[in-house]
Amino acid sequence: MTTTLANRRRPEGAGGPEKGRPTRRVGSSSSRPGFIWALPATIFFGLFALVPLVAVAVLSFTSWSGLGDPKFVGLKNWEALFEDPVMLQSLWLSLLFIVLGIVTQTPLSILLGVWAAGNQKNRAILSAIYFVPLLLSSAAISVLWRALLDPNFGIPGQMSWLFGDGNVLGTQTGAIAVLIFVGMWQFTPFHTLIYQGAARQIPPVLYQAASIDGAGTVRQFFSITLPQLKNSIVTSVILMVVGGLTTFETVLILTNGGPGTGTTITAFHMYQEAFRRFDFGTGSAIALVLVVISTAISFAVVRVSGYDKMRSSMEGL
Amino acid sequence: MNNHGWVARTIAGGAALALGLTMAGCSGGSGASSRPENELHVAMYGDAGNVVEQKMIDAFNATSEVKIVLDKIPGGEYQSKLQTIMDTPTAPDIFFNWGGGSIKSFVDADLVLPLDDFIKEDPQLKDAFLPSVFETAVIDGKSYGVPMRGTQPVMLFNNSKVLTDAGISNPPATWEELLEDVKILKDKGITPIALGAGDRWPTLMWFEYLYDRVAGEGLFQKALEGDSSVWESEESRKALGMLRELVDAGAFGTNFDSVKFTDGGSPALLASGKAGFELMGSWEYSTQQSNDAAFAAEVLGYSEFPKIDGGKGDEDNLVGNTNNFYSIHKNTRYPETARDFLKLMYSDQFVQEQVAIGNLPTTTNTEKFLDKAADPEYAKYQFSLVKEAPSFQLSWDQAYPPEATVTILTAVSQFFSGQIDEDGFIKAMQSL
Repeated sequence: MTTTLANRRRPEGAGGPEKGRPTRRVGSSSSRPGFIWALPATIFFGLFALVPLVAVAVLSFTSWSGLGDPKFVGLKNWEALFEDPVMLQSLWLSLLFIVLGIVTQTPLSILLGVWAAGNQKNRAILSAIYFVPLLLSSAAISVLWRALLDPNFGIPGQMSWLFGDGNVLGTQTGAIAVLIFVGMWQFTPFHTLIYQGAARQIPPVLYQAASIDGAGTVRQFFSITLPQLKNSIVTSVILMVVGGLTTFETVLILTNGGPGTGTTITAFHMYQEAFRRFDFGTGSAIALVLVVISTAISFAVVRVSGYDKMRSSMEGL
Repeated sequence: MNNHGWVARTIAGGAALALGLTMAGCSGGSGASSRPENELHVAMYGDAGNVVEQKMIDAFNATSEVKIVLDKIPGGEYQSKLQTIMDTPTAPDIFFNWGGGSIKSFVDADLVLPLDDFIKEDPQLKDAFLPSVFETAVIDGKSYGVPMRGTQPVMLFNNSKVLTDAGISNPPATWEELLEDVKILKDKGITPIALGAGDRWPTLMWFEYLYDRVAGEGLFQKALEGDSSVWESEESRKALGMLRELVDAGAFGTNFDSVKFTDGGSPALLASGKAGFELMGSWEYSTQQSNDAAFAAEVLGYSEFPKIDGGKGDEDNLVGNTNNFYSIHKNTRYPETARDFLKLMYSDQFVQEQVAIGNLPTTTNTEKFLDKAADPEYAKYQFSLVKEAPSFQLSWDQAYPPEATVTILTAVSQFFSGQIDEDGFIKAMQSL
């Protein structure tokens, strides 16, 4: 490990062979690759992220049904938004979805990921099976679970001791539970993948040293594995937050925002306003709210976790 | 190298570009000049019935210089897609719709061609159709659509085997009989009425009939014209009270909110004998037929919605999709070609083809062909219902402009599941 670190830290040109060659091309700290290298990505980002973002910001101050020209209405959409009970409820629901998503998916994917990083018998086969949901589209997953949860002909019809009359999607609690469960089923494999990669990077010497000191598997997990996975946990949580805020297909297909408005989360509310009510002004305003919230949450997570300082979890090794 | 300057300039440039694009998008509008030459595009609701539309177009294209192209749009997204392309250069020349509220905003935005001049030249474009149906696409005295495909009244379907086993000899003719049948079926452990409330529009059908039978067709017409006070009228409350009574009697079981029609859930309830009735559009027949032809032909029964004593509405009034229509976009390059194509909609060939796949066109020559229908008895029954109905109310979610749909469907489903009461429902409808 020390060699890896040393390689990374070794000052530019110290190795000798570069002597006499122009140093710029290798890229020392004083002359990093020019901005030109970032141009393709910047253009794409500008065209497909910034331009629509600005357009949406402009639209949020207009009234537009998609026909004719947008009419400037000032702050009307925004005022209406803050008085819209469905909007306020949708923010709470989104928050609930994010929290429940993190709480259910993180422990499971850490455990699976750490397990999958090992070299047990059958590990490769079982891991491959666990990853199958990752290969399916959200729409396919939703249709699949919708059929499985049919109260008369699906699982609930056969397991009335658990599901009662099978009205799983007819109550708010039931509908939320289904969406959280399906989200877990769908996304745990992805986060497992992150943790598997991260767990493989943990130097075995740590475990060897710990077992010499008499630490058992559980102690090793909490004292070595978890702290070493910290940066991956932050990454995974940010992805879950942003993913949770933009959850859409499962809601559209499984619950349609119902019962009533019981699972109308913010992203679905946005779709409903823009593409069902054809009120693109309000839809754009909701979209901006989502952008602001997800940016703020991501910043906050990065700050609180110290991720922005990019401290290596292997310092001192 | 000053990276910050670059970034700032790029962002500023992006913003300017975005504004420019937005403006361009807004003023882009449409112009006949950008439309392809010798091509006429038809925006069509994509489903199994497209076979017939394609056949008619092929026949038309064989002799026409301007070729018609059928653009199929997946059904569920049809209205959204149409709304987003209507005011752009890629708008269709001819578009499928449901008349009424589905085209009102397009008419208001001056995007639809009035057909009155064409009708003056060729009165058949209007006279060849049943008047009550043609009226649906008349807005402010001008005609904007020609009926195509078929009429789809809502009827009370039943599983005759379940009814016979329960000792019910006839479908209910009155509301009291319906309540009685509900009780009998419920006591036998059968869900009396299948309801795909997960889709929400099947729930709306119950409101449409109750309001029509109790208050007559006038109440909804007034509401549509902007008189929201009718929702708190005595009749309105009576209709809501009766619906509540039906739900509370367990007519739909307890898990209807988790059942959908569109994924086959509620039709399966009826077909498997787990439910006795289902209130549904005439397409219930073809749905059942594609699952189990023998069930549709022998066991599936159908009747009119029961009459309600003391109600103001005629017992023969119907609700549902009065018909589908073709309308012409104002900016089409070839209005005459479009007109010639629309004339096919009352041709013998068109009617025959539609009848053969189970649709029921509403032309005056339809009756001649009913013997050739997939199920002549069913076709004749439906046709007589539509022909004799004093009023045929277009589904509320189609009669109102699309932006009202979410509010209506949310309100009806919340009322059925008990999340809102009468006052909540009235308030929701008054907000439209």
